[in-house]
Amino acid sequence: MASKMLIGDMPELMEMILNNLNNEFYSLYSCALVSRHWCKMTIPILWQNPFSFCKFHYSFLNTFHLLTKTKNSVLDSDSLEWKVQKWIDFQLADSKPYASAKFLIINLLFNLFIRSGATLHKLKLGFYYYEINPVIFNTLGRNELFFSRLQDLSLNLYEMSNLNAEHLTVLLKILVKNTTKINVLEIEEFDYIHEPRLLHALECFIKSQEQLRQFSLISESYATKFHGIISALECQNKSLQEVKIVSCVCNTEFKMLMNCKNLEILRIDDCKNVNVLRASLKTLELTNYSKFYASNIVQILKESGTLLQRLSLVIINGSIQEESLLLETLKSFCPNLTYLKLTNIEVSTQFFELIGNLQKLQFLTLHFFEILDDEPEILVMQFAKLLPLTLQYLDLRNSWFISYIDILLNNCHAPLKYLLIDHFDDEKISKSLTEFCIRKNTLNYMGLNRYSSYSSLDDNIKKELEEYVTMVPHERIIVKC
Amino acid sequence: MDNGTSNSASENETITLKSCDGIEFHIDARIANRYTLLNNWNGGESACIPNVNGKVLEKVLEWCEHHINDPQLNCGDDDSRRRNTIIEEWDENFLSCDQDMLFEIILAANYLEIKPLLDLGCKTVANMMKSKSPEEIRSAFNIDNDYTPEEEEQFRKENEWAEDY
Repeated sequence: MASKMLIGDMPELMEMILNNLNNEFYSLYSCALVSRHWCKMTIPILWQNPFSFCKFHYSFLNTFHLLTKTKNSVLDSDSLEWKVQKWIDFQLADSKPYASAKFLIINLLFNLFIRSGATLHKLKLGFYYYEINPVIFNTLGRNELFFSRLQDLSLNLYEMSNLNAEHLTVLLKILVKNTTKINVLEIEEFDYIHEPRLLHALECFIKSQEQLRQFSLISESYATKFHGIISALECQNKSLQEVKIVSCVCNTEFKMLMNCKNLEILRIDDCKNVNVLRASLKTLELTNYSKFYASNIVQILKESGTLLQRLSLVIINGSIQEESLLLETLKSFCPNLTYLKLTNIEVSTQFFELIGNLQKLQFLTLHFFEILDDEPEILVMQFAKLLPLTLQYLDLRNSWFISYIDILLNNCHAPLKYLLIDHFDDEKISKSLTEFCIRKNTLNYMGLNRYSSYSSLDDNIKKELEEYVTMVPHERIIVKC
Repeated sequence: MDNGTSNSASENETITLKSCDGIEFHIDARIANRYTLLNNWNGGESACIPNVNGKVLEKVLEWCEHHINDPQLNCGDDDSRRRNTIIEEWDENFLSCDQDMLFEIILAANYLEIKPLLDLGCKTVANMMKSKSPEEIRSAFNIDNDYTPEEEEQFRKENEWAEDY
């Protein structure tokens, strides 16, 4: 007898099962043909993001405009533009007449999508290269249902024309009336807009929301003026959990983050004046593209203290200054870290003390570490022995540790499940790895660079190793902060 | 993936759970600490977990015990960026049970709000559907085809584009 969840009872469970087939168009197509109930459950998923594929089929457009009542739809204007380009495959697509034709089709598809009766779940809008037809905005204004369940809004303002700025202002006013349940809001290329009415509309839109959980502000080149957008987040101080800022020069407006009682996650990418930021966090991710002074984040680390569970500090094209201060602060104030990612730090006694102190650490990523000692083998041995017994994930790609990976494995007591390295083509490493697998019986996956020279290892050695551990491209198992 | 490992119970502490058919299980208290609903049934003499029989509860608890040190997910922390598409070998073997048991485990995980097990069960069932024809799926899950031939033909025509994938 069929399980009751597959014949109508508990449709939410069947939906969860089918959601795993997202983008498996053939499988979803088959499921929809199983029975009427399966069809009812599958069609919304099959048509959830109808432009997420690029093969054109004549039946698609025929059906698309007939399709009504689609739940949880995704509309991504960038992807739509690219897909239309692929579909029609114009040889001279960038020449003016062809580009016009392409944008005409995009506008028609937009219109069809809105008129189809879909209720949108996610909307991603980019405005560069083409103008959105004003008719679309008129249609949107009359279609309250379309936005009523919108939860995820992403706006890319790159090179926005005055006309599109005007349209977006209208759209935001429509959204203020119909959409108050946005969970995720992302504003990209924020510094391209200077139109005061649009900035005001954005501010009003943020203030109108009732449950904004995640906010991202991405600027192209060190935005210094935020026109009240950041201050508007004050209205979301009860719901806001995650903030991401990219290429911003933080100013006093950002102090409002202190009032967000539920703010847990802060992601700072290539920002200046980060020392003004204050919050008590569970997760802090900071990426910088030049020399970075640890004193800029000491205060936030101290305030987060035992609450802080995940920390990523990635410095590209530079190094961490005041290393000692950083390591000491982490050791004294943040013992509950479960995830730690550090780059460009010298392997030192102080670093060892920190690692030894993190007794809940499960995920550790160390990139570009330098070992300056005369006897690096001894240091690696000490380091391996210090790794906490809670550690299950170790990512040592692009680090000096790679040269001593056999020593590290021979001395490691941590029950690693995942190990990520760039490559290995050495029988000595292979032997250590096999011995580690036998000794600990925990290692499941080894992440390697896709182009690694692992394939040049002797087939017998590979075969033996693969009895113990599965080799995968590291992208498949990488854990982000 | 978030990793709040805030289990306050110590390793030696145990609690008692009872299935709906009266079978008692003594489990590591840290398991119950991770899953609130399990904790709710801790200890009461007559308290038993309704809807979950001993055979299924034993399997569920076996899974929980194996994953006791796994990182815990935050509520709502389900975006695809952090979703791991790999089913680990142990889990794959664990769910290579008969189909009735697999669905019972999914129902129990849903009832007991053990989200990672629920996700795993759903993923396993979805994998059983992958790349199969409608007829193969009907046969695998014992589903009756209640389409009329006209309806089926109409549907095929409307969704022909998806057949090419």
